[in-house]
Amino acid sequence: MIANIAFYVCSIILLASAALVVSSRNPVHSVLFLILSFFNAAVLFLIAGAEFLALILVIVYVGAVAVLFLFVVMMLDIDFAELRSGFQRYLPVGATVGAVLFVELVFVLGGWEFAPQAPVLRFSPAPANVSNTAALGRLLYTDYIFLFQAAGILLLVAMIGAIVLTLRDRKTSRHQSIRAQTDRTVAETLELVTVTVGAGVKEIGILRPKPVDPEPVEEVHHGN
Amino acid sequence: MNWVLALPEIVLSLVAMVILIFGVLRQDDSFFLSSMFALGGFLLAALLVLTTGSGIGYHGQFVADAFSSLVKILILAGAGLSLILSLDYNRHNHIARFEFPVLMLLSVTGMMVMASASNLMTLYLGLELQSLGLYVLAAFARDDLRSSEAGLKYFVLSALASGLLLYGVSLVYGFSGTMDFAALARTLTIPQSASPGLIVGIVFVLVGLAFKISAVPFHMWTPDVYEGAPTPVTAFFSTAPKVAAFALLLRTMATPFGHQLIAWQTLIIIVSVASMILGALAAIGQSNIKRLMAYSSIGHMGYALIGLAVGTPEGVRGVLIYLIVYVFMSAGTFACIIAMQRRGRPLELITDLNGLSATDPALALAMAIFMFSMAGVPPLAGFFGKLYVFLAAVQGGLWTLAVIGVLTSVVGSYYYLRIVKLMYFDAPEEPFDPRPTALSFVAGATGLFTAFFFVFPAPFVGAAQAAAKVLFG
Amino acid sequence: MATEVGLGHYLVVSAILLVLAIFGIFLNRKNVIIILMSIELMLLAVNLNLVAFSAALGDLVGQVFAMFVLTVAAAEAAIGLAIVVIYFRNRGSIQVEDVNLMKG
Repeated sequence: MIANIAFYVCSIILLASAALVVSSRNPVHSVLFLILSFFNAAVLFLIAGAEFLALILVIVYVGAVAVLFLFVVMMLDIDFAELRSGFQRYLPVGATVGAVLFVELVFVLGGWEFAPQAPVLRFSPAPANVSNTAALGRLLYTDYIFLFQAAGILLLVAMIGAIVLTLRDRKTSRHQSIRAQTDRTVAETLELVTVTVGAGVKEIGILRPKPVDPEPVEEVHHGN
Repeated sequence: MNWVLALPEIVLSLVAMVILIFGVLRQDDSFFLSSMFALGGFLLAALLVLTTGSGIGYHGQFVADAFSSLVKILILAGAGLSLILSLDYNRHNHIARFEFPVLMLLSVTGMMVMASASNLMTLYLGLELQSLGLYVLAAFARDDLRSSEAGLKYFVLSALASGLLLYGVSLVYGFSGTMDFAALARTLTIPQSASPGLIVGIVFVLVGLAFKISAVPFHMWTPDVYEGAPTPVTAFFSTAPKVAAFALLLRTMATPFGHQLIAWQTLIIIVSVASMILGALAAIGQSNIKRLMAYSSIGHMGYALIGLAVGTPEGVRGVLIYLIVYVFMSAGTFACIIAMQRRGRPLELITDLNGLSATDPALALAMAIFMFSMAGVPPLAGFFGKLYVFLAAVQGGLWTLAVIGVLTSVVGSYYYLRIVKLMYFDAPEEPFDPRPTALSFVAGATGLFTAFFFVFPAPFVGAAQAAAKVLFG
Repeated sequence: MATEVGLGHYLVVSAILLVLAIFGIFLNRKNVIIILMSIELMLLAVNLNLVAFSAALGDLVGQVFAMFVLTVAAAEAAIGLAIVVIYFRNRGSIQVEDVNLMKG
C-alpha cells in the first residue's frame, strides 16, 4: 500500500518536474528540476527493487552530471531570453508530435506480454537470498567483464575529449610544481633568529620575503 | 572464457593508453611520433584480426567470425589511410596534437567492438565508444567556429539517435526477455513472439543505425559535419564509421531479426530509394567539394542498402564488396581534396580544380579515376560495387530497386563528370602547393586499387562471400 | 514485484518521460543546454524501462545494462558540455539555428 502511494506520488513529481525542465524560463531552474526528477526516478528504482542503481543514480546524476550542467550554465554568459524566442512558434508542432508519439507508445506497450519462452531465455536470473548490490557485482565482474572494461574506456575517451577541447595553458595560469615543493630544504625556508626582548620586528629587520614573481610558463604542446 | 578473441581490441586500446602516457610525459611536440605508433597499432591489430581464430566469447557478447574479420580489416584500413592524410594537414592547421591519434585509436576500438557485437549491450557500448571519439574529432579544431559547430550539430543529432536506438533496445529486451542475438533469433522463429512492441523496438533500433550511416531521412547532419570538420576527420567519417555502422546494421538485421524480414524490409527499401534520389539530386547544386562528397556518400549508402533490402546472402555479399570499394575510393578522393592548397590555405570550392590537368596532371588523373569510379563507369572498382548489389536485387526479385539504382547513378554521374570536365577542359589557374609525400602515397595506392580492381576481384569477392555466408548461418 | 504497482505503470511513466524529452528537444531548438538536459531525460526513461523489465522478468541483465547506460550518459554529458563551451568561446552564443555559416 505504501509502495503504491509512493509510486504514484513520485511518478507525478517526476513527470511534472521533467515537464518543467523543458519549459522553464531560467536554465538554472531547469537544472534544479532535473535534479528533482532524478531523485524521484531513484525512488521508482527503489520500488522496483533496484537499490544499487537507485543510489548510483543519485550519486552520479545529482552529484556529478547535474552539477556539471549547473557549472556550465553559470559559466557561460548567455542571453536566455533570446533563446526562447522560438518557443511559441514550435509549441504546436512539438505538442502534436509528442501527442502522436505518446498515443502510439501506449497503444504498443498496452499489449505487453512475455515472449513465450522468456523465462528460459533469462541469462542472469535474479538470485534469491543475495542483496541486489552483491548480485549485480557478481555479474558485472564476471559475465559482463568485457562490457565493463568497454565502459571504462568510454569514460577515458570522455575525459580525454573534455580535456582536449577545453583545456588551455595560459601564460598566466599557475601550476603546482611538485618537484620544487619536494626539493625545498629546511635551510632555504627556515631561518632561526634570536630576538631581543622588547625590540620590534621592524627594528631587527625581519620582514616577510617579497613573493617572487612566478616564472612565465612556456607554452608547450597544448598551446594555440 | 575465451578472452583471446578480443585480442585486437585489447591491443588497440592498450596502444592508445601507451601513446597517451607517452604524449603527456614528453613535453615536446609528439604528434608525428604518436601517429606513427598509432599506425603501428592499426597494423598490429590487423595482423591479430587475421590470426586469431573465430568463435563466441565473453558469455555470448562477442563474436569473431569471417564477417567481423573482413569488416575490421576494412575499418583499420580506412582509419589508417585517414590518419596518414592527417599528418601534414594537422600540422599546417595547428591541430597537430598527440590526442588526435589517441582518440582515433579508441574510436576505432569502438568500431571493432561494433563489428563483433552479438548482444544488444555490446552493440550499444561499441556504438557509443565510436561516437564519443567522433564528436571530439569533429570539433578538434577548437578555435575554428565551423569545426566546433560541426561537433555540436553532430553531437546533438547523434545523441538523439542513440537515445532512440536505446529505447528500441529496451523494448526489444522487455518484449523478448533477452538481448543476446542468438537467443533473439531463436525466439523470433516463432511468429507469435513478434509482438507489436518488439516490432516497434526493431524500428527504433533501425532508426538509430540509419542515422549513423547517414541514410535519408536521417542525413541532415552529414553535409554540415562533412564541411565543418577538419578534412582528414571528414575522410575518417566517410570511411571507417560508415563501414562499422553498416556492419552493425547487417548483423543486427540478418541474425537476430532475420526472421522478421517482412517487418523491416519495406522500411529499408524506402530509406534506400530516398537516399539514392537525394544523393543524386542534392549534390548537383553544390559548390563546396566537401558538401558534394557528403551528398555523394548519402547516395552511396542508398546503393549499399539495396543489398540489405534483398535480405539474401548475395545481397550481403554485394554490400560488403560495395563497402570495400567505397572505403578506398573515398579515402583517395579525400587525399586529392586535401592536396588542394594554395599558399598553405586549404581550398574547398569545386571551381578551384579548374584546369588541374595542366598544372598537376598526376593529381588530376587520380581525381578523374575516383570520380569515374564513383559514377560507376566500367571497368573501375565503383562499377563492380554497383554491379554486385544490382545483381543481388535482380536475383531477389526487387527489380524496381535495381532500376531506380541505375537511373539515379546516371543522374549522379552528372556531377562527378562535371568535376572531370572542370579539370581537363577549363582554363588553368594558379598551381597548388607541392604535394606532401603522404598524400601522393594514399592517392596513388588507392588510385591503383580503384583502377585495377577488375584484374583481381576474386579474393575480395571470395572474402565477402564467406563473410555473408556466416551471417546466414 | 510484491505490490500491485505493475510493469504497465512503469512503462507508461517511462513513455511519458520519453515523449516529454523529445518534446523538449523540439521546443528548445535554439537552446543547446536544454537539449542536452532533454537527452538526459530520454536516457532516464530508458533506464526506467530497463529496470521495470528487469524486475518483471526476474532477470538482472536489465539492471546491468541500466548501469552501463548511466555510465554512457555521464560521459555524453561531459563531452556535450565541453563542445558547448568551445562553441560558445568561438561564437559568443549557444544558438544553433540562426547560424548561417553552413547552409543548403
